[in-house]
Amino acid sequence: MASPEDIERLRQLKESEPLQDAWDHWTSTLKVLEDIKLLLDDPDPAMKALALEEAAELDQKLSTILNHTFPSLLVPPSTTANLSALVELKSGVGGTESSLFLETLLRMYTRFSQSHSWKANVVVSNENEGGGIKDAIIEIKGSNSYDTLRWESGVHRVQRVPATESGGRVHTSTVAVIVLPLIEEQDAQKEALYSMDDIKLEVMRARGAGGQHVNKTESAVRLTHIPTGITVSMQDERSQHQNKRRAFQVLSARLMDRKITREIAERRARKNSLIKSADRSEKIRTYNYAQERVTDHRIGLSIMNLSSVIEGNALQDFTDALKQDFEETTMEDMLESESQ
Amino acid sequence: MRLPLNELRWLKRAALDSNRPLEHLIQRRLNREPLQYIIGTQPFGALDNIRVRPPVLIPRPETEEWVIQLAEYLCSSDWSASRRISLLDLGTGSGCIPLLLCHLCPNIVANGIDISPHAVQLANENAKLCGIPYSRFKASLCDFVHPGFPKAETINSPYDILTSNPPYITSDEYLQLSDDVAKFEDPTALIGGCDGLEFYRVIAGLIARDGFLSPKAVVALEVGHSQAAAVCDILSPTGFKTSIWMDSWGKKRTIIAQRQ
Repeated sequence: MASPEDIERLRQLKESEPLQDAWDHWTSTLKVLEDIKLLLDDPDPAMKALALEEAAELDQKLSTILNHTFPSLLVPPSTTANLSALVELKSGVGGTESSLFLETLLRMYTRFSQSHSWKANVVVSNENEGGGIKDAIIEIKGSNSYDTLRWESGVHRVQRVPATESGGRVHTSTVAVIVLPLIEEQDAQKEALYSMDDIKLEVMRARGAGGQHVNKTESAVRLTHIPTGITVSMQDERSQHQNKRRAFQVLSARLMDRKITREIAERRARKNSLIKSADRSEKIRTYNYAQERVTDHRIGLSIMNLSSVIEGNALQDFTDALKQDFEETTMEDMLESESQ
Repeated sequence: MRLPLNELRWLKRAALDSNRPLEHLIQRRLNREPLQYIIGTQPFGALDNIRVRPPVLIPRPETEEWVIQLAEYLCSSDWSASRRISLLDLGTGSGCIPLLLCHLCPNIVANGIDISPHAVQLANENAKLCGIPYSRFKASLCDFVHPGFPKAETINSPYDILTSNPPYITSDEYLQLSDDVAKFEDPTALIGGCDGLEFYRVIAGLIARDGFLSPKAVVALEVGHSQAAAVCDILSPTGFKTSIWMDSWGKKRTIIAQRQ
């Protein structure tokens, strides 16, 4: 019979499995290297060459374990791993060109979600009169979607000759992306992100009598969270109830985002380390059509095949690299606070 | 008429979902047909797809609001402990009021009655669509204005809850209504006589009858934007105590009546 303590121990054991695996891998590789070392002075030159080659290989393996595997085990497990994501896109400078690029990014994230078997649903999408989409919100449901996409937040810049430009000049336009942690309605209540007393709810001003007298199709709702001043307007759904539900979902995501950001800042402040800029007005990535190149400025990574990012799977290369960068930064923070 | 972008988006989705040409849907809308009739559904509270069909009255946001509020009120009252709460909805139309209440309060069993066969048919279809079984909701053809009412076998009085969004538009106002309401929705679901109050008088008479409502009954009636005081006056001889609920648009929209 398993007691609750047993289950707790089982869980600990399970959680420490990666540590044990890494240690086993380290000791067994080291053992092989020790054995090989004996052959380095072998009188047979062929044998000696073989041993040298293998020793170099093992050496490489050991340094990988030392430099990558061990440190990554020190990174605490993500507390946001189970969260879904709400991705907000807003067109920036560049007018219609920016809106057209926003539509491209929207497709990119939708496609990326499908390849991860996440459920993507465009909940808000405001078309631009000249073409493209002025602003949009996509709900991306699936575990790890927030952790994977969170580093997409920031300003995305496009450099290309717009279809409408007759002079063939390259324009630079921008789209701002904000990735928010999406939590389920019941979890939002558990997190106690807001109190209903702090919410001001407004509906679109009625014209006239209302009720049976008119048939309104617009049922816009605006929420204001008084303590933070956050406002959310929602009008894309067909009923007031649905618009209200969506508005509360966005509000919860924004408040949850603030909470996570605050926690990170507090942790870093406690450790007395420098806070790495998480400025969302920062240009994070450039999509250069003429050079078929996408560059992420934070990590200096360029992918020389633009369409593979926008239409293929190369966005994964960016998200992987950014995740690794985040883990390394977390490690550095830990080490810095150790040495103080 | 200029089509709002949101409407265009909803029509596009409807065209795609139902495999109908978008131009036809847009043309119907430009002819002032209500968007909800063209799409064929209207979300109502937690019920995502209430079916709507001409000429049955399209559920309004004001109604959605007070029905949700009524469900919350019932859940917080002694009623929530009851095993079974019986409800009657007068002039049920699409059935949206009793169906949402059945959905939100699992102990409600409801009857809906309407004078229009179109409405009765639609309300029963909606019950099926919303997953409310026949044992919990049934709509029947019945005229509650008829002097013989409620003798009909479809009525299982006494009821614990009486709801209604009766026709409340005055005959004069009816002539001023915009085309999307007047040309498409059933006038019998809209016109409440010369002063718009005819049906409240009938309802007051029903409430006063012995055995029609249970001792702790709650009555919830939607009223027109300027009728709240008049309806409270009509109800006062019944001995029921009335209170008024405002809607989000600042109108006195719902009368709640309970025995003192």
